[in-house]
Amino acid sequence: MSDILEQIRKNVIEGRIDSADEGFDGDMAGEPGVIELVNRGLEDSLSPDTILNEAVSPGMEEVGRRYESGEYLIPDMLAAAECVSEATKILEPLLVDGDINSRGKFIIATVEGDLHDIGKNIVSTLLRGAGFEVEDLGVGIEAREVVNAVEKSQAKFLGLSALLTTTMGHMEEVIELLHENGLRDKIFVCIGGAPTSQEFAEKIGADLYGADAFDAINKLEAIA
Amino acid sequence: MNTPDDTSLRQMVSLDKGLTVERTRLLSEADCRLIHEGSCRLLSETGVRVESDAAVRIFREHGAILYKDRIRIPRAMVERAVQQAANTIALHAKNPDNHITIDVNTPAIYFGTGGQALNVLHYENSEFVRKPATTRDLIEIVRICEQMDNVDFITRPVEPDVSEEEMDLTKTRILREYTSKHMNLANLVQTDNLPDIIETVGDPLLISFIASLTVSPLNLVSPTTDKFLKMVEHDIPVSISSCPQAGTTAPLSEIGELVQVNAEVLSAVVLANLVRSGARVFYRGIPISADLYSDGSPRWCQPESIRRVALITDLTYFYGIPCCGTAAVSDEKALNPQTVAEKTLSWVFEAASGAQFINSALGMLEQVLTVCPEQYIIDDMALTLIKQLFNQSPEYNVRELAETAVSEALGLFDVSVQPETAEDISDRIDFILTRQEDYSSETVNAGVELIQEAVESGRSSSKFMRAARTGLRSGWLYKGPRMEGSLDLTEVHNIRNDILAT
Repeated sequence: MSDILEQIRKNVIEGRIDSADEGFDGDMAGEPGVIELVNRGLEDSLSPDTILNEAVSPGMEEVGRRYESGEYLIPDMLAAAECVSEATKILEPLLVDGDINSRGKFIIATVEGDLHDIGKNIVSTLLRGAGFEVEDLGVGIEAREVVNAVEKSQAKFLGLSALLTTTMGHMEEVIELLHENGLRDKIFVCIGGAPTSQEFAEKIGADLYGADAFDAINKLEAIA
Repeated sequence: MNTPDDTSLRQMVSLDKGLTVERTRLLSEADCRLIHEGSCRLLSETGVRVESDAAVRIFREHGAILYKDRIRIPRAMVERAVQQAANTIALHAKNPDNHITIDVNTPAIYFGTGGQALNVLHYENSEFVRKPATTRDLIEIVRICEQMDNVDFITRPVEPDVSEEEMDLTKTRILREYTSKHMNLANLVQTDNLPDIIETVGDPLLISFIASLTVSPLNLVSPTTDKFLKMVEHDIPVSISSCPQAGTTAPLSEIGELVQVNAEVLSAVVLANLVRSGARVFYRGIPISADLYSDGSPRWCQPESIRRVALITDLTYFYGIPCCGTAAVSDEKALNPQTVAEKTLSWVFEAASGAQFINSALGMLEQVLTVCPEQYIIDDMALTLIKQLFNQSPEYNVRELAETAVSEALGLFDVSVQPETAEDISDRIDFILTRQEDYSSETVNAGVELIQEAVESGRSSSKFMRAARTGLRSGWLYKGPRMEGSLDLTEVHNIRNDILAT
């Protein structure tokens, strides 16, 4: 493996997006991170698929192994997934068809009346790292807006988040509106957030309940 | 700032049924001033995003600056509001013997219930079953707490299962009927219901509220902010509550989180005093942590959270604003030895800090999601024990008192402390008492800059989590075993049955 590919792999493992990141031990600020290294690799005439398949993906696989073994924690996983997401943004336009295997488009939103975004953002980042194409609608999104986005995008997956007991009811509203618009059978609906549960998911007719971000990703990876 | 009299920083004075203890201070005056400087910098340079048009108008009319979508609050405005805020708040009760007064000059400790739990654990056929909370649960819990000596006030523990339109008045009627203690209604579901609530209780001094109007980092959200404005207009006491989680919605750093939560609470203190000079508001900061070891869920009762919540008390004394404390929200889902141990540590350190009007102090499990009738009784028994320990040794050593309290509280339920458990309890106490970071202008400024970057990025949780990696490896989140085993609840079940049979 070339030195630059090895550096990209190591920086994905370390979760360093760019040179401003200090790294785990707080002493790496100023050293190039994933963004600078990917650009340098392209300048050195490495092909986008080589960078993706021989550096970025193996780096993320190693992060997954370390997380499974308990050596890595959520922030490490999140930081690495962000590196993958940033690298993909640079490389994707340069790849030819077939070089990248998307698991499908995923629309995600926090429902109307609810401004909490932590869970949604963690899930979005991990989804991108796992190869989903994510469209994040944001927080406090009305049912009609969610359904319009589903209709327009032809997405395969929809993720709805709520952290409040007073807002979780809007998830059911979205599902009802999907039915009314003849879209329910075309999209896989996932829900999550502190007040939700498997029981609630079944009650409102969602397809998948994620107890936390990792539970959601694991379940989605098994079906996508 | 409001009360520079240093004697009030050292000595508690008993009021009514309040507990008298000498305060254990974890932050010095100089530390508090550093945090204040950082919070003022955040408020004046970054500001708060305010969703309520009415609140934006009030801020601007009095000199705050609207820059893009944020209100920047000048330091002078913050310090004026702190000077203006009421330093005594009387909380009346149907039975005058149960009146309590929260006074920064003659402070006293009171414990009460709390929360908006979704679930209740019911003891059925020799096991606890988790069910959605109902109106009947609200009545039963209030009836039990009415009989508990250590419940000084009732914060609505669960909502009645009625429509949103009926919720405010239903819970008001239930509290009015079943308790003779002060009624903290917690939230106001519909703003327009406030006059009817006041009419229902008769005397507005009988009620108070909690307004969770901040969403971290640095947002004052609607409609809670509009409800808060109405409460202040009606001169109803209200606790300004902010509950960031270190590592996801605030810096993992203790200093950074304190700077942020302080700025969030102060922004609402300013707003309240612009509406009504001398506003009767409580300072309720709950700087807990996020579980970055597993799924990012909140850690309410782990050592770093117990420590940080106790540090807030020092800030409330520094400002001379009445303190609304928080204690004993267990992270456990069940009634077990770990629940008793972590709750006991929380009570001891929150009481030792000198916190007043301590909410959520009884009954709460699974962060704030679940309550249990039996847990209120367990907690009342343990609080009796803790008060006895404080009263036995006015010159107490907090470490020794905490160790004794955990051991004896577990003993109430026939659990003996084994050597490995004693070691873990000792480690937890060490963690609570130990400063992990140096308080200096540099560390405060580092916290301010991280918060500013996080707010400006629009992806604050990602920024905070990324920045948390170094602190995690420095051990800023406690890691230790949890106790296994079970409690002997024979007496607890009997007490519950006796109360509800009458």
